Amino acid sequence: MDEETVEELRKIVGRDWVIYGRDVTAGYLLDETPPPIRPIPSRDVVVVKPGSVEEVSEVLRYANEHRIPVFPRGGGTGLVGGCIPTLDGIVLSLERMNKITVDRENIMAEAEAGATLGDLIKASEKAGLFFPPHPGDEGAQIGGLIACNAGGARAVKTGVIRNYVRGLEVVLATGEVLRLGGKLMKDNLGYDLMQLIIGSEGTLAVITKAWIRLYPRLPATATLIIPFEKRSTAVKAVPRILQAGILPLALEYVEKAPIERSAQHLGLEWPCKVGESFLILVLAEPSEEALYAQCERILSLCEKLGSLEPLLAESREEQDRILKIRSEIYTALKPDMVDILDATVPPASIGAFMDEVEHIAERYGTYLPAYGHAGDGNIHVHIMKEEGWSMEDYDRVRQEIYDVAVKLGGTITGEHGVGAVRIGSAAKYMSQTHVTLMRGIKRLFDPNGILNPGKVLP
Amino acid sequence: MLIKQVPDIEKVRFDVETGRVDRSSAPAETNPFDLNALETAVRLKEKLGGRVTVISMGPPQAESSLRDALARGADRAILLTDKRFAGADTLATSYTLATAIRKLGSFDLIVCGEKTVDGDTGQVGPEVAEHLGIPHVAYVCEVREVSEDRILVVSDMGDKYLFEVTLPALITVTKDINTPRIPTLRDVLKARRAKVEVWDADSLAGYGETCRFGLQGSMTLVTRITIPSEEGRRGIIFRGEDAVERLIEALRKEGFIP
Repeated sequence: MDEETVEELRKIVGRDWVIYGRDVTAGYLLDETPPPIRPIPSRDVVVVKPGSVEEVSEVLRYANEHRIPVFPRGGGTGLVGGCIPTLDGIVLSLERMNKITVDRENIMAEAEAGATLGDLIKASEKAGLFFPPHPGDEGAQIGGLIACNAGGARAVKTGVIRNYVRGLEVVLATGEVLRLGGKLMKDNLGYDLMQLIIGSEGTLAVITKAWIRLYPRLPATATLIIPFEKRSTAVKAVPRILQAGILPLALEYVEKAPIERSAQHLGLEWPCKVGESFLILVLAEPSEEALYAQCERILSLCEKLGSLEPLLAESREEQDRILKIRSEIYTALKPDMVDILDATVPPASIGAFMDEVEHIAERYGTYLPAYGHAGDGNIHVHIMKEEGWSMEDYDRVRQEIYDVAVKLGGTITGEHGVGAVRIGSAAKYMSQTHVTLMRGIKRLFDPNGILNPGKVLP
Repeated sequence: MLIKQVPDIEKVRFDVETGRVDRSSAPAETNPFDLNALETAVRLKEKLGGRVTVISMGPPQAESSLRDALARGADRAILLTDKRFAGADTLATSYTLATAIRKLGSFDLIVCGEKTVDGDTGQVGPEVAEHLGIPHVAYVCEVREVSEDRILVVSDMGDKYLFEVTLPALITVTKDINTPRIPTLRDVLKARRAKVEVWDADSLAGYGETCRFGLQGSMTLVTRITIPSEEGRRGIIFRGEDAVERLIEALRKEGFIP
């Protein structure tokens, strides 16, 4: 990056908010992608931290004029290298734009892109409201969550991030500011560009602000652990729970070895002493009566599903402890992991999918730990390091898992997106027409290709 | 086994005007230390036999904590509830609980949490023992041995001490003593239908002096609550030749360096 560019950027956002130099930009170059598959960041990167939509606009206008790649960055919690600057250019961190206001009357939040998921949860709670989804790391930022259409555990009842976004303020590559939607429950004016930008992984526009739907607080909550002897019995119980009309906030699948490793990593104990595979159900209901009515139904259903004795945590501390152990599995496994997959199948096919995954593991003589959002047909299968395996060996296993998912009517990515690391696979599984339309859209939004180049588009 | 229902302390707000806890601001739950106490009692029962009776003093809604205790392995639950118990300090509370224990008759061991997260005094357990005239050990982090008439425990008061006391006795336990079990769904639902006995002031009349209950029996009074102000993070940028000097000055002013 030449000195003149850095100086121009300093003029726009102020000298304190431009970071230049390899030793100081290091914290802005990576994300949570497992190291074996993570792209290598470019060496010559300048980090710019705008404080307002006007500054974002100025930065983009300048970058567009000078054809400088811009890599928008949120909390850096992505798993497919989506925000890693793979070319020399600007890392645009929205971290300073972190205001949140809650509109109790419309039951919505107005959040700037740099506010974190944790901030949004807190602000909602403070207003006596509730933001149901919980896509993992609470350090994730709103802009990133929306750009990646994050999913996570609590999407069973009310959906993934896309289902909550009612309006966006975005800045186009040209610097033009566009407002799409708003505090609206319905909006049919023209093509829904807002939904197009949600999940576009920073390749179409930079999100600066969002209007997010909140929910009334569901005060009666409980977390159930349902143990099973076998993976297949546990997984096959999932669609039956949903078909029985039980709609939990989250319906997660976990296994003994990884969950105990996660608990140990945290200095905690996994509370369920029986079983090899577990379903975790997070229930949230408007009243205790409704909650216990669900519990009664679940108990009688469990007997039919062949589970062992389920546990029920009601105190906040106990529920938090279970979720904490659940959410740290990734961190606990990461040192030995090559890739975390998020292939997703129709909810009722999750049993067939996991059976096939087990066959693949047997055929290759490897261990494929699995856990995740079973209620959404979205169980994360992990490819682990194996002595003497090459990258091609891992690729073959990944390919087989993808093939199985697609054969069952699924997709190769349900929530992590394409980013940098799935581009090769995306090319294989998307139709040519799909790719052509996407390229056309990209050209319209970003004619010079400055926004997150090298991502998403095959 | 003594328990108390408390507001979720991470969420509760205080009413500065009245100096009271605004209980409507947070959901109620069983005092976390009491769950360790209950787990201690239930493990002893599982090992040695016997029955675990849980007593709580509080408003009628404290019944849910007693049901929670039944789900976690207690055999009998008694709620002491009466307007005449209200406004009690630790002395009146411990007196009332001791009176109820007298009414229950014989017992081997009373187990309490080391303190409650709302009151934070750690006084009620030992005071109950004093009212009953039995030995007590606070901050127990390990039960080593229990025999017919003695209990050997480790107490953690910064340093660890080994105590042997004769039974009947009272111990208060720390969080380190165990990890409370999470109850089974079946037991939670069963406890919902179980009976919780309710005792009022009159029902304790023959076992203690009712004038020592509640506000009337309290020797202390909360006159004022002050809430420490929360300081958020702040960023200040010092630049120029004397930046370091001004930074040192600012840190000194805030009391971070001498």
